Amino acid sequence: MKRSLTNLCFILAIACVMWLSSPHLFTNAANSSASPPTSNRQSKIQNSIAWRDLPATDTSKFEKAIAPRSWHFPDDFGAHEDYQTEWWYYTGNLETAEGREFGFQLTFFRQALSPGKPVSASHWRSNQIYSAHFTISDIASDRFYPYERFSRGVVDLAGAAANPYHVWLEDWSASEIEPGVVRLQAQTSDVALDLIVNQTLPPVLQGDRGLSIKGVEPGNASYYYSLVQQPTTGTITVKGKPFTVSGVTWKDHEYSTSSLSPGTVGWDWFSLQFNNGSALMLYLLRHEDGTPERTSAAMFVSPTGELTPLTPQDWTLEVLNTWKSPQSQATYPAKWVLQIPQLNLAVQGQALMPNQELNTSTATYWEGAVAFQGSLQDQPIKGKGYVELTGYADRLDTILSASAP
Amino acid sequence: MTAVISNRPLWRLAWQRLRQRPLQYLLCIVGIALGVAMMVSIDLANGSAQRAFSLSTDAITGRATHRIEVIAPTGVDESIYSQLRRMRHHSPMAPVVEGYTLVEELGAQPMRLVGVDVFVEAPFRSYFGDDERLDAQSVQLLTEPGAIVLSQDLATQYDLKLGSELHLDIAGQHRTAQVTGIVAPNDTLNRRALSNLLFTDIATAQELLGQVGRLSHIDLIINQPEELQAIAAALPTGLKLETAEAQKNAVQQMTAAFELNLTALSLLALVVGMFLIYNTVTFSVIQRRPIFGILRCLGVTQGQLFTLILAEAALFSVVGSILGVGLGIVLGRSIVGLITQTINDFYFVVSVQQVTLAQSTLFKGLTVGVAAALFASALPALEAMNTAPSLILQRSTLEGKVQKLLPKLALLWVGLTLAGVALLRWQTGGLIAAFSGLFAVLLGAALLVPPLVSLGMKALASVGYQVAGVLGRLAPRDIVRSLSRTSVAIAALMVAVSVIVGVSIMVGSFRGTVVQWLDQTLQADIYVSPPTTTANRVLGKLNPEIVETLKTWDGIRLAVSYNDADVRVVDFDRQAKLISADGDVSQGKRPYAWIRPDLGADPWKALDTGSGAIISEALILRENLASPPETITLETPEGDRTFPVLAVFYDYSSDRGTIILDNDLYTALWHDDRVASLGLFTAPDVSVEETVAVIRTHFKGRQDLLVQSNRSLRQGSLEIFDRTFAITSALRLLAVVVAFIGVLSTLMSLQLERTRELGILRAMGMTPRQLGTLTLLETGLMGTLAGIFAMPLGFALAWILIYVINVRSFGWTLQMALEGRYFWQALLVAIAAALLAGLYPALRLGRMNIATAVRQE
Repeated sequence: MKRSLTNLCFILAIACVMWLSSPHLFTNAANSSASPPTSNRQSKIQNSIAWRDLPATDTSKFEKAIAPRSWHFPDDFGAHEDYQTEWWYYTGNLETAEGREFGFQLTFFRQALSPGKPVSASHWRSNQIYSAHFTISDIASDRFYPYERFSRGVVDLAGAAANPYHVWLEDWSASEIEPGVVRLQAQTSDVALDLIVNQTLPPVLQGDRGLSIKGVEPGNASYYYSLVQQPTTGTITVKGKPFTVSGVTWKDHEYSTSSLSPGTVGWDWFSLQFNNGSALMLYLLRHEDGTPERTSAAMFVSPTGELTPLTPQDWTLEVLNTWKSPQSQATYPAKWVLQIPQLNLAVQGQALMPNQELNTSTATYWEGAVAFQGSLQDQPIKGKGYVELTGYADRLDTILSASAP
Repeated sequence: MTAVISNRPLWRLAWQRLRQRPLQYLLCIVGIALGVAMMVSIDLANGSAQRAFSLSTDAITGRATHRIEVIAPTGVDESIYSQLRRMRHHSPMAPVVEGYTLVEELGAQPMRLVGVDVFVEAPFRSYFGDDERLDAQSVQLLTEPGAIVLSQDLATQYDLKLGSELHLDIAGQHRTAQVTGIVAPNDTLNRRALSNLLFTDIATAQELLGQVGRLSHIDLIINQPEELQAIAAALPTGLKLETAEAQKNAVQQMTAAFELNLTALSLLALVVGMFLIYNTVTFSVIQRRPIFGILRCLGVTQGQLFTLILAEAALFSVVGSILGVGLGIVLGRSIVGLITQTINDFYFVVSVQQVTLAQSTLFKGLTVGVAAALFASALPALEAMNTAPSLILQRSTLEGKVQKLLPKLALLWVGLTLAGVALLRWQTGGLIAAFSGLFAVLLGAALLVPPLVSLGMKALASVGYQVAGVLGRLAPRDIVRSLSRTSVAIAALMVAVSVIVGVSIMVGSFRGTVVQWLDQTLQADIYVSPPTTTANRVLGKLNPEIVETLKTWDGIRLAVSYNDADVRVVDFDRQAKLISADGDVSQGKRPYAWIRPDLGADPWKALDTGSGAIISEALILRENLASPPETITLETPEGDRTFPVLAVFYDYSSDRGTIILDNDLYTALWHDDRVASLGLFTAPDVSVEETVAVIRTHFKGRQDLLVQSNRSLRQGSLEIFDRTFAITSALRLLAVVVAFIGVLSTLMSLQLERTRELGILRAMGMTPRQLGTLTLLETGLMGTLAGIFAMPLGFALAWILIYVINVRSFGWTLQMALEGRYFWQALLVAIAAALLAGLYPALRLGRMNIATAVRQE
């Protein structure tokens, strides 16, 4: 009896020690004492989250770009929420008095998650998602500063108003300060821009009176106009150092309810502004096999504003050189020769710096400042502009068919 | 001592002893185990509640360094957020809307519902994708009303899947939501933190919580001082920029006093346990005195002897402590619910899904257990060590020494009691000093037991002879003869019983005070409030339409409305409860601790005109103020405002302090005209119960209202009170169990040790029955003595608890209410415990074999 009691005692004690020292008990406590609760400030935590399957967005309730429409400015500067997607795209090439070059992109996107307006007591409920991309290309120091932001089109966080014209996402904005004059503002911890952009020409209606066909399917098109050759002055700040700059800005405004035709993987899009006052917009939709989509198009704008629409048959575009992105491993065209016999235009151009790739939540693409030179009607011309190259890192037709912004 | 000498024979000796008397050691181990278990369980439960709260707070705070908060209780106007957003600065900023909800599918416990904006979450919290990219799927939070994200652990525990419906109860409003995302954090800390949280979009949170247009706060990550200044400067009045830490600390300080009280109570058990250890070790020493004497004669050094005794104590204290920690963990799991309930009732909402086992808790339990055992064993060990070998061999020397010690013990008692009183009177010493004083008084009283027993028994011996003959004389003399052992047992029992007396008086007085206070304060016939997520505090607000309807309800003579909010008292730099009232629910019957002399008997008229504030006594007592301050300065959305203090009232519903302001004043300064509760006075000839029923039917379906009659509200309040003290009762019971084990082990050893002596008595012709009676008489006497000594000590304890500990911990003055039953119940417990402990030896002795007993050794 005595022996068994003693034995029981020891067995209990040993069991206790074993239980207490088993690792699972101590892991939590060890975590808690060793690392203060804020330790996740340093370490990046990858939480996995499982979402309910997104219901497919019913795009049939959205308006579609089917036929040419009549435009009403300034109303059409604002948002067209009946269409699913819309963007206001500012790109520009600037330089200081000493000739130090900069490029910038400030783009506002609107994406409707569903048609119609949601009914809700909360002002935060919205199906209008805004996102914005802001980049500065500091050519002289070969530094590219890309940024991305998201917000929703409510409680004044983001939005697009027509009159007075104002498109903004938090403290990034394009706002009319007087008719025809728009102030662009954007800042991040590293760079900032504050520019005054003057509209000199009436809006250039792209495609057929502003209806820009992107695919053979009806409705696979957008309403699209551009403001080109806009003289721009202001300040670009890089790492706290301000630069007074001037140059030209290109604005595109486009809205649609469309996706790329299956098999179209991306596009090459050019906006060139020449020193004689003319401008060229050209987009080339690329098929999987590398051939161009026949709905690709271009528009030449003369210094006085006369328009010449062009089709793929009218031009030849040859890639002379490529650049492989160390981040995405995608290979992008980096040097081109463009010939448009009908206009007697032959120019050769290249990226002002190779790495102008954006890695955004939605897609990875290249959008950067370029320079072209050559001849127009046997006169030498020079031009600067922006080129957008999509579908090289990931296929755009699949991305765009998802309803995410 | 040289290295050649081996201690092994000594260890064998100890082992021999252990095998001969396992029961004694077993009881001792159980004593230590129970003492340690109580401490560990309280520590564990406190720690788990705190940790659950701080984890979920951290999970919500994320990487935020600062937050913008609003002084008014209505929340931050959302337009301020968009203004700040459009300002030029680079600090990440995120809006948060949060509140509490009960979810039927999640066991109906309070959960923290946190509304965020996924677009700006990334710098703060990583629950919706990684730090840089937005998870495209997360946008469905925006479009799906009622979309909720919860943790994998919760989903598994409650068997929820993507798409499962959730039924939420938010301050009585029933809403439906569905599980849209399940997040599985990859580290344990985050996983645990999330088990209290439900995430949703800010729009959904606003809708569900009824906070449209308002944010709870705005999180910020600010690394540059210039940004901090710029943002602070841009804030409109009524908003403040605080560090994320400040908020957390403020919440945790609220429960500090409550937790310290529980810890101190758990230490009482350990003190009782120490008596037990002292007892056992003393016994083992005394019983082995002959052997020790021989050993010393054989050349065993004093040091070796000391080591031997302490090593024995260390061994069973380690075993006991380990068992105690194990038991404490088990106990802690069951009392964590009780503690959480109290914290929810009085302080903040927390739900503990998992008991947190901190290494420090285990370490503390083991260390305190072993240290207490070693300390208690040191005295007998020293005694054995310092006695000359020739004297050790004489059994009588020890008792002789004890007799000589008696005057010194009495002196020590005086000293300790004076020290205790000094500690108790030390105003600025805080709670720790108060509890130290309490323990000093308690220990002092224990030291007084031997002299008192000696005196008492000597007196009783002559009386006993006349009453019960030889047995009546034998019993008291036996007790005095073994004073070194009997007095310890009596002291242990006395301490335990005095704890029962003291705590019973305190709880009884407390309850009496609260009942009276409720009777005086709650004069309205019907009380209307939103059903609350916690029992004591009203978290929601009443629908304004309902308030209007009820104010003009048929048969209602008068309606007074109340609203409450948290407020920072600038003078004392701490948070308090602010009540805005448009009338006195007590109708002037409320007692006041102090009224400004010029106001007469009822300060409410002055309050009604907005000429000052009425503050609760807790505010003064917890700040150690000698007299009520002339004015009190509060932080208001309009800046700091100073109000004259009109009166000081009693409030047992909050230990943080309460300030009452007139509702007009409050609305003007805090911009909050909501009503949290209504007190309705019925017309003279109207039935209260019927009106309650009619109001309930009328508002059925619109909003769940809590409509209570005066009686049911009082009942509910007392239920909370009793629940709060449930844990105290549990601790009290444990202390008794420890004491009982102590008495049992002491008495059994005492009786068994005397086998030879009793054998002689039997041989001389004493019947087994007489022997049994003698044993029971002795233990009964000891129990009675312990019970009698416990009464004044218990009263002293109660006095200290009521007038020192409670005042310092919670700022409440209680009226001491003495009831006879506290005392006679305690006496009964003491005698019963002692008699029960004597039963086994008495039975065993009855069956003794005289020859063997006499031949022993």
